[in-house]
Amino acid sequence: MYNLFIFIKKYNAVILFVLLEVLCVIMVVHNLPYHNRKMANVSNSITGGFYKTTSNWNDYLNLKSENELLAEHNAMLRSRLGYENYENDTVIVDEMFSYVPAHVINNNTSDRNNYIIIDKGRIDGLEPDMGVICDNGVVGKVVNVSTHYASVMSMLNSYSIISCRFADNQYVANVVWDGRDYRFGLVKDIPSHLIINKGDTLVTSGFSNSFPADVMVGTIEDAEDTENSQFNTAKLRFSTNFSTLRFVYVVKNNYRKEIDSLCITR
Amino acid sequence: MYNTLIRNILRFIVLVLLQIAVFDNLRFGNYIHPCIYVIFILLMPFDTPVWKLMINSFLIGFAVDIFNGTPGLNAAASVFMAYTRPFIISITTRKSDIQDKNEPSISEMGLQWFVLYSFLLLVIHNLFLFWLEAFSAKLLGVVLLEVLLSVPISLVIIILLIYLLKPVKNKSNY
Repeated sequence: MYNLFIFIKKYNAVILFVLLEVLCVIMVVHNLPYHNRKMANVSNSITGGFYKTTSNWNDYLNLKSENELLAEHNAMLRSRLGYENYENDTVIVDEMFSYVPAHVINNNTSDRNNYIIIDKGRIDGLEPDMGVICDNGVVGKVVNVSTHYASVMSMLNSYSIISCRFADNQYVANVVWDGRDYRFGLVKDIPSHLIINKGDTLVTSGFSNSFPADVMVGTIEDAEDTENSQFNTAKLRFSTNFSTLRFVYVVKNNYRKEIDSLCITR
Repeated sequence: MYNTLIRNILRFIVLVLLQIAVFDNLRFGNYIHPCIYVIFILLMPFDTPVWKLMINSFLIGFAVDIFNGTPGLNAAASVFMAYTRPFIISITTRKSDIQDKNEPSISEMGLQWFVLYSFLLLVIHNLFLFWLEAFSAKLLGVVLLEVLLSVPISLVIIILLIYLLKPVKNKSNY
């Protein structure tokens, strides 16, 4: 026993070093698959308030460009309504989906698995697996919800797969991220007989319950042709600029439960 | 003793706030992540025992981690850095040089020594941090590139910050 104390006293630094490192590595590995996800519930309410304050300051710096963007979006919406509807002053809305506007309070593009925190939570009716879009295109999916905040797995995440189709010929493919550049993603599972051109547009397929159909995802940047395999891969330029993201819309599917109940019964 | 404690607590809070509110939001590019909270570990007094150094490093690393949503990542790198600090001090100085010195600051040890000392420790810290973050997803080349680009930037910011945050020296000692 005495020898043990001597041993501990002599090597206390090494023992403490090993203990702390093991503790850290366990925490890292434990959180690796969903990084934020487990931690989010505990820390969202603490750090959420903090990030809300800092993002309030940051907003002043972006007011001008944000105004321009909103004006542009307004004009786009107005042109979509057309004059007939505009005079009627009643708008026919898409009943299947409703949208909750939210504010990005923390965002990252430099990690391998990136998450966004937004300032709407359970009291605003948010639930995990809801889609998130912005004016320019798809952003990601809600993964975790606390009372006032929610964390969103952005498309810049190795666990994110978004089902898409080509706007002009309706063929379906999947969009993933290779972790290199926040501007570009990869389109996988493109049937090899399909001829892809630079600039082809990809939109959401509408097959998942999270997104409405025809939301812009991006355009083809570079199509590589692999002769041998059955499926091709292409480089995609995201239409969403993830590094300047400020305002997003959470997509609520009003018939989600009904559709899900159909999927369970076989 | 009492003074050192208060100064360290203040340093801890200011550095964590600076790191999460300012430097984590600066985007110099995809590969550059300035770590400035390591100033806290760099400036601990010479006579701090290693275990105390490691526990303090763990706490500041973990505080940064909580806000970044990466529990254990910065903490692991900081503890590793704290563990190697006595070794780095011993290879860059002679024992007689630091006997009457209080802490490894620029004013006491000179700028040239401080640059070398913090450069070595930053390389150790960033290598460990980026390697642990990449783990399986990123390639070794990317990690080395990140270290190569981040360390000089961090070093310049750290030295500027130390000059900025240094309390005004009063020669008459009150």
